[in-house]
Amino acid sequence: MSHTINYRPLMVLRLATSATQEIGSTAQGTLTIFPVTGGSFEGERLRGKVLAGGGDWVTAHGNGTFTLDLRLTLETDDGGLIHMTFTGVRDDANSYFRTVPRFETAAPKYAFLNRLLAVGIGEIRSEGPVHIIEEIL
Amino acid sequence: MNTRLLMTLHVKVGTLLNIGAVPCGTRRTALLGGGTFEGPRLRGTILPGGSADWQLLRPDGVLEMDVRFTLRTDDGALILMRSFGLRHGPPDVIAAIGRGETVDPSTYYFRTLPRFETAHPAYSFLNRLIAVASGDRRPEGPIYTIHEVL
Repeated sequence: MSHTINYRPLMVLRLATSATQEIGSTAQGTLTIFPVTGGSFEGERLRGKVLAGGGDWVTAHGNGTFTLDLRLTLETDDGGLIHMTFTGVRDDANSYFRTVPRFETAAPKYAFLNRLLAVGIGEIRSEGPVHIIEEIL
Repeated sequence: MNTRLLMTLHVKVGTLLNIGAVPCGTRRTALLGGGTFEGPRLRGTILPGGSADWQLLRPDGVLEMDVRFTLRTDDGALILMRSFGLRHGPPDVIAAIGRGETVDPSTYYFRTLPRFETAHPAYSFLNRLIAVASGDRRPEGPIYTIHEVL
């Protein structure tokens, strides 16, 4: 029985966002939307740019944690379009920011993305959010 | 990725409901027959009734799993566990699993991403973590080894 799970780097995703839309206090928490205006992603097997039009729906909860809900379109440098969604947990008090991305694509070269699960480490840098994403092998 | 063992979950599959061909694939629901979980920080049983795995076999041969379990710890806390997973592998391996054979789990891909919700203070750490699980499909049901992503 295999108990060890291995990982390998999938991509580093950098996002650029515009002014937030403060929805405010909802039944789920305090909702803030971060519109994504662009960005880039780069890994050994794929690289390209993040198209404008996606976003991150961030809900702040009473216990000091945030949940994320992102929806993006990636365009590879050879023209493949990849639909990317991810949820995640951010807990600043414990410096914990982890995500679980998913991918959908029709581009045959990138079909491997449809068959994998991944986990990411998020960081808020001065230039914007950066996600270091690894494939779960 | 730094991880640590959260728990091992032993699931016994109960009734299988074959929904059949739906627009996005072939759907099947595996109801829970029973189960237990055990780890360094929590242990208990999985409650039947509302605990099941809603499976979708996609046209590309990948099985999507959508699990909802209610866990009850040995000290009475109720925990909702939800996880999304993928299972796929070489056709002969997947066929052997289908025939109810025990297969080496390293020969196919079976990974899930569990999330937890609880109101019990002793287990509130579960609300704040992301976890990754590897599955081992045995004839009686899957065994999940769940690691917390640190």
